[in-house]
Amino acid sequence: MRSRSIFAFDVYLSVATIGLLLIGILFVYSSGFNSTGQMITREYVRQIIWASTGLLLLVTVAFVEYSVVKPWVGYLYALGVLLIILTLLFGRVVNGARAWIGIGILGIQPSEFMKIATILAFAVFLEQAGGRIQRIPFLLLGSMLFLVPFGLILLQPDFGTAAVFFPVFLVMCFFAGAKIRHLAFIAGTAMLVLIFTMLPAWEIYIYGGRIPAFEVFSNVRLKIFVLMGIGAVCLVSVAGLMLLKRRYFYWIAYGTVIVGLALAVSLGTRAAIRDYQLMRLVVFMNPYVDPRGAGWNVIQSITAVGSGGISGKGFLQGTQSHFHFLPEQSTDFIFAIIAEEWGFLGALAVFSLFLLILVRGLYIATIAKDRFAGYVATGVVALFMTHFLVNVGMAIGLMPIAGIPLLFVSYGGSSMWTGLIGIGLLMSIYHHRYRY
Amino acid sequence: MNDSWNKNGISKGRVVAFGVVAIGLFFVYLSHLFSLQIVDGYLYTVRSEQVKRRSTVIPAPRGEIFDRHHDIPIATNTNSFAVEVNPAMIPRGQHAEVFARTARLLGMSEDEIHRRVPSSMYQVYQQVEIRSAVPFETVVRLAEHPDRYVGVSWVGKPVRSYPEGAAMAHILGHVGDITPEELQVMFNLGYNARSVIGKSGIEQQYDLLLQGREGRAVRTVDARGRRVGDGNIQLVPPELGHNLVLTVDRRIQQLATDALGPRIGSVVVLRPNTGEILALVSYPSFDPNLLYGETAGAAFSQLRSDSRAPFLNRAIQGSYSPASTFKILLTAAAIEEQLISPDDTMVVGPVYRLGNRVVNEWRPSGFGRINIMQGLAMSSNVFFATVGHDLLGTERLLSYTLGFGFGTASGIDLPGERPGLVPSPEWKRRVFNSPWVGGDTVNVSIGQGFLSVTPLQLANMVAMIVNDGRLYRPHVLKEVRDAETDSVIKRVEPEVIHTFPLRPQTFEIVRRAMRGVIRGGTAEPVITTPAVEVAGKTGTAEVSSTTRDWHSWFAAYGPYQTDNPDDQVVVVVMVDAMNDWEWWAPKAANLIFHGIFTDSSFEETVADLRRRWRLWYM
Repeated sequence: MRSRSIFAFDVYLSVATIGLLLIGILFVYSSGFNSTGQMITREYVRQIIWASTGLLLLVTVAFVEYSVVKPWVGYLYALGVLLIILTLLFGRVVNGARAWIGIGILGIQPSEFMKIATILAFAVFLEQAGGRIQRIPFLLLGSMLFLVPFGLILLQPDFGTAAVFFPVFLVMCFFAGAKIRHLAFIAGTAMLVLIFTMLPAWEIYIYGGRIPAFEVFSNVRLKIFVLMGIGAVCLVSVAGLMLLKRRYFYWIAYGTVIVGLALAVSLGTRAAIRDYQLMRLVVFMNPYVDPRGAGWNVIQSITAVGSGGISGKGFLQGTQSHFHFLPEQSTDFIFAIIAEEWGFLGALAVFSLFLLILVRGLYIATIAKDRFAGYVATGVVALFMTHFLVNVGMAIGLMPIAGIPLLFVSYGGSSMWTGLIGIGLLMSIYHHRYRY
Repeated sequence: MNDSWNKNGISKGRVVAFGVVAIGLFFVYLSHLFSLQIVDGYLYTVRSEQVKRRSTVIPAPRGEIFDRHHDIPIATNTNSFAVEVNPAMIPRGQHAEVFARTARLLGMSEDEIHRRVPSSMYQVYQQVEIRSAVPFETVVRLAEHPDRYVGVSWVGKPVRSYPEGAAMAHILGHVGDITPEELQVMFNLGYNARSVIGKSGIEQQYDLLLQGREGRAVRTVDARGRRVGDGNIQLVPPELGHNLVLTVDRRIQQLATDALGPRIGSVVVLRPNTGEILALVSYPSFDPNLLYGETAGAAFSQLRSDSRAPFLNRAIQGSYSPASTFKILLTAAAIEEQLISPDDTMVVGPVYRLGNRVVNEWRPSGFGRINIMQGLAMSSNVFFATVGHDLLGTERLLSYTLGFGFGTASGIDLPGERPGLVPSPEWKRRVFNSPWVGGDTVNVSIGQGFLSVTPLQLANMVAMIVNDGRLYRPHVLKEVRDAETDSVIKRVEPEVIHTFPLRPQTFEIVRRAMRGVIRGGTAEPVITTPAVEVAGKTGTAEVSSTTRDWHSWFAAYGPYQTDNPDDQVVVVVMVDAMNDWEWWAPKAANLIFHGIFTDSSFEETVADLRRRWRLWYM
């Protein structure tokens, strides 16, 4: 069976991956032209190099029996953390974040590879934790594996990349059998923190008036007062739960803790958040608040996408991109060029290929030989999904600008290799799905 | 093999749930994409066209203004320069250095440049103006060293200029940036927020003719504002504003300005048989060149704080008691009504008494027995108080006043003309709630009291005397000409706006009486010009009964008789009581008449009269 499987590459994943890589190379090529037809960058050449080396990496990973890697996962994870720390100390600043490390022009973004290392490490943890993941201490313990890279990457600061870890963690826990209400608690708190952080800005920029109740978010003393009130309600319901054993006291305590925790955390995030990040959240709600500043990217991107129509303006015919209205067009906003030049049909093609990877990845997770493999597969699927939803969502105005690439398509070596290693892992799991 | 389902510990239910949510999200995204690209696609297509097409405004040069000779403009546009910086063209890291050099060249502070071009703009490909009204020499130095001033450039920026300066200011007015309030009113006329509009004078009156229509260059640009693609610049050329030719003669204007000198007051010179204004002087004046651009703020605050109100055009906006000049009108009324004939005489004592209203004769002994011609020549207050009150009566006196155009604006084509005031019994009751008394009629008869007139109205009255009762609309605009071809688009024809049909011999007698004022009358010592026979009337208006402050008037025309009415001019001079008393109005008029009819400048006039020993008062 081993010898036969060399040729038994998973066709669906192969087609989808190569399709996306080709689209990526085409549009990185397209984005290199300016309006007068001059090629102003040769990024596509590098993209081809990365794609081909990445494919080699993919094949290598796919052929290696994943269980061989398992004993080394801890070292991989430690190496990743070390590289990120080194990057923080000695890295190069690109686009405001100290995320690059390397010699000369050869550089990598350790934070990208850290995603894979974290998925592998957490899969090992989940496998060993087994059913105990349903218990809160184990959940918290496991989350440490994510919080370390999350925190370090936030320090770079690269909020977008750090944020990717969050859904991956939730999805892996979900498949490992964690309690829904624990995960909902985490997700709910995170959502509320985000909402509470941006509500005051919403009040100023979008609502345009004053809502007295919103004092809670900006006035620290009032906030502490409200927090104490929420704490009191929480204590009462915990006491009620213990004394009266009524189920609804549990849910009251659950709700108040989420709100209270989010309120408390938002106290910190409001102090820590930078103005440009806040403005990104504001322009996500309404880009026309600052059309030539923070809202520029969103407006230009949506205009590019919208003007594409059904079949687009034709390859190399996009105006928004070639007149350089679109910033970061080969990386963060490459989807906008695709949608502009190939229209809805081109976007549909990209969607289909990613959907294929998603469905195939989920299928591979279900047929994986062991728990470790299953969790790795779900982690990889979650990673792909997150990148896709955030990047495309940002280009069409459904997500705030987070600056993360569209895997396989966006220009850039580290993210592409990360994606291709992920595919390699899926293939390896598929490939080695049988026990002997 | 089958137990791999269970062994990997992944629940099928959760996979299905996750799959459903994920695919659901895909469809949410797809439907949003559908609405963006297909439902609303046309919206974004339009927007993407708009964004990349940027239009630059090409300003339309404002029309020039000429005096009646139509040779040298009296309001024109001079090319001033504005220095601009294009931050993206300066090599990275050299901004501070280039700014420092530029600041030194322009004589401005470095901080000022940094304030206008903050570091956040260093990558923006856009011209930023850092200094306007830069002299030509500086621009030359800038052009000589393009390597030292990388990214620094200049553009011509037309600025309104008035070569005659303050002398023409009240006629021409000045220009300024449109205010939001003005824009609200004028938006429908095609003005926009960038418009520079006339704020006073001819500039305001004929702004629509002078404006023109700004042009546009539409070109395709990229996000940094760089022009891209060639040959696709669409040009909508600007429409030039029209040139205006005025009736004003800049030599006479200068003559009248110099003749009035630094005395608060005004001069009107017009042609009675067309209504053309030859000169319109008001002192103090202002320099309109200072009222636009960088000097504007300081100039405005200085002018506004000037208690002598330099912006007031006293010739059409100041109204005063006409005093003895009004006796011309009473003469006309008395003769026309045949209440008195030129030969009738009356004994004029030193005082006219009506109740408690006492009119003193200016010569304490009175004049003895005199006729109306002598009465006007001697400017007898008692004589005309008698004529006004005892012979004419209130009703007829007031109707003659109105008949000569007092109490209504004459409709000159300059903004802000005032109507003056002709009182009436109803008016007095309404305003003062007291009845009209005989003393009021006496006051009007000698041109005092509530009656107030503008210098222009007085000039119109004289013009009607000259024209046998016809009044031509006083006007400043002569022709509208196309700026490019110089062809006449519109010529302003003389227009009779008012007729006061008295008998021709009445006017003849009045003119003779006015000539008598110069020959053997009060004005004989000062109207010394041998160049023209002047006919007119002096006036000295009391401002206060206690101080020696009088307005000094002189309303006249010349030549007294002529076969060619085109030669005749009306001159009205008014010198405010705020000046030291020197009876300057007739003296100034003497210089103006001599200058006009010898076709010489003020200096030449003064020299000529001095040579003839006729300028005893200077």
